[in-house]
Amino acid sequence: MATPAKLTSPTELSKPAKRGRRTKRSPIARRQARTAYLFLTPAIIFFGVFFYYPIADILNTSMLTGQRTDEFAGVDNYTSAFEDPQARNAFKVTLQFAAGTTLGAIVLGMGLAVLINQRLRGSLAFKLALLVPYLTSIAVVGLMWRNILDPELGILNRILSDLGLPTQEWLNTHPVATIVAVTLWMTTGHTMILFLAGLQGIPDVYYEAAKVDGANRWQQFRRITVPLLTPTTLFVSVMAVITGLQAFGQAYIITRGGPGEASDLFVFHVYELAFRARDFGYASALSVLLLLVIVAFTLLQLRIGRKREVQY
Amino acid sequence: MNERVTHERVTNRKHRERSTRMSARPASNGPWMTRRRMLGVAGGVAAAVPLAACGSGAPEAESGGGGGTFLAYWNNAHEFDAYKDVVAQFEEDHGVTVELQKFQWEDLRTKLVSDFQSGNVPDVVEEPGNWVQEFALSGDALSLQKYIDEDGAKIGFPDDWLRPAVADNTHDGQVYGIQMHYTCTLLFYNRGMLADAGIEPPTTWEDFLAAARELNSGDVSGTVLNDGLSYSYPWMLQNGVHEYDAGSGKLLQPRAAAMEAMRFQRDLVHEHQVSPKPTTALDVTRAAKFFAAERTAMILTGPWDIPIIKQSNPDLDYGIAQALTGRRQATIAGGTTLFIPAKAGRPDLSWDFIKRITALKTETAATEQSSMLMPRKSWAKEASVLENPDVKPFTEGLPYAEEFRTDVYTTGKAGELEDIYKTLYESMLIEGAGAEEAFAAYDDAAANILKG
Repeated sequence: MATPAKLTSPTELSKPAKRGRRTKRSPIARRQARTAYLFLTPAIIFFGVFFYYPIADILNTSMLTGQRTDEFAGVDNYTSAFEDPQARNAFKVTLQFAAGTTLGAIVLGMGLAVLINQRLRGSLAFKLALLVPYLTSIAVVGLMWRNILDPELGILNRILSDLGLPTQEWLNTHPVATIVAVTLWMTTGHTMILFLAGLQGIPDVYYEAAKVDGANRWQQFRRITVPLLTPTTLFVSVMAVITGLQAFGQAYIITRGGPGEASDLFVFHVYELAFRARDFGYASALSVLLLLVIVAFTLLQLRIGRKREVQY
Repeated sequence: MNERVTHERVTNRKHRERSTRMSARPASNGPWMTRRRMLGVAGGVAAAVPLAACGSGAPEAESGGGGGTFLAYWNNAHEFDAYKDVVAQFEEDHGVTVELQKFQWEDLRTKLVSDFQSGNVPDVVEEPGNWVQEFALSGDALSLQKYIDEDGAKIGFPDDWLRPAVADNTHDGQVYGIQMHYTCTLLFYNRGMLADAGIEPPTTWEDFLAAARELNSGDVSGTVLNDGLSYSYPWMLQNGVHEYDAGSGKLLQPRAAAMEAMRFQRDLVHEHQVSPKPTTALDVTRAAKFFAAERTAMILTGPWDIPIIKQSNPDLDYGIAQALTGRRQATIAGGTTLFIPAKAGRPDLSWDFIKRITALKTETAATEQSSMLMPRKSWAKEASVLENPDVKPFTEGLPYAEEFRTDVYTTGKAGELEDIYKTLYESMLIEGAGAEEAFAAYDDAAANILKG
């Protein structure tokens, strides 16, 4: 029978471990650690095989070239990326898309959450209705909107025409704004739920105190709601930027990156390079660069967000 | 053959039973699961997961049949009853189960290229044209020359195939694919609309524009240019333009003729407004839907749209006229080819499958069902083909059909060059860009691609 583990007081637990000094573990602690690692093994294997190994493989492939990806290219693929006007265009389009979806997610998500946070009849149905698009695949959503917005065969133009209003051809004239709008239609329900959870975590006492001080609703929103939602806003913006930079289905299903290269999202561009041009080396290099950009954006957002975090 | 299959099945069953007995052996004395054994199991799982991942979806690697699954990648619109009969007989003769995995072309390419990277390839692939030579160049397609040398005379290859259908599947003097369908685009017109306007089916670009303007009114557009850049190829060919000239290494030559052809299409949409703008959609049946709904008088398409037109509007009275003449009469040669991936495990079996699918009897039966066109000269002489009003005009068009992307594959950049052609096409036809500006952007992009 193993000896019982030494009990540790809460104050000792909260003390930071001294650097450079390794404490000797008891046999039972080592056994517990082994058991813990054993249970962690499936997760480690899963992430190793399906996450870290592919990343390592992509890093390796990004140094290769040729249709069979068997010629060493060093960093040529990386240097080519900076000189490639199509890659630069795809990056620019993707930044526009990510900015649009991120700002839209915050504004619409927060606005709807504030609206629905009131005690209104039918708010559950409203929440569900907004959440359903988020539960639907981008393939379904994309095809649906593609058919609605088709300038000649789409139902929207038929309705506009019947009402005597001018018809639209946004897929041709404003493709990026169109896919941003479709993405927001799809994801706003989810961000609304996140903001709603944040709103419900703000104690009423702040609002009551503000009312006593004579603050109107706008002042309450600006001085209490927005600052106290900073952690949620940070989370939403980080996730929206990541998913915005990684977006693929919108270009693949709705616009095919066109007209021309007007909505050529970066990941769609990478896909075209890999599977149409069969340039896996260059496509891998662009993927690595995108990963670095996403990491940089995330760190930047966390840094800015944490500085702005407030507590009353 | 059947006896051998039966023997192998019995042997396999015995082997499985023996394996089962071995695995069911009771564990040695001691605790059910010691820590060491648990670690061993975990290690085994760790090793098995990647191996299983690598092996998943891999076709059987046996040779010469004898059980297992025979995997074919197929276009989702090409599973005709005539092929089902061939597949059933093939399964019976070889003791295999044929799995036709059906895809749209884009998805098929994604899957196939991934397979080439991983080394787990299907037994046979149907491709939409241009891929065979590209994959032959990259070493991913198997040369069929050995089989042609052995069986060519028996199946009538190459003499019974239209010449371009052989040339387009040949690389470095060796045949890598056998053309299965061979198609072209012609002019489909609404008989009633043209008769009411007193117009004969147009034969030249000028006639076509005049007819389209005459027929363009209200909800009916004179024509609908189909979505998809390949529908622009016939216009280019009618002006004597090919995508690539291997001799000079130049693209879209003669340039003035190329610009004129693209400008003519753009003007149909933007200046004369006799066609709605094409879209960037994957759905290339849009023009056929307009035509079936009698919302357009003329479209330029191939036999693949006939089933859509007939299903949507069985009473539509339409005619099929020959391709237009620009500087010359021409149309695009299209169609699908069967090839065997270089790493396919059972090439002999794959070759037998190809022979059966491309047999004259199978081709004729497929045409009767689908109006699909075939590459054999003898097919074009079959009574059932000549009596079919949807097919007969195409038998007259196929002899002057030609390939637009000839030799592009030799650049090793066929996919990238197609992408920039798409940009050129969409910028002019959808966005209405000027020819000078659009071609200058195309040339810049092409220079960047070809230098790499």
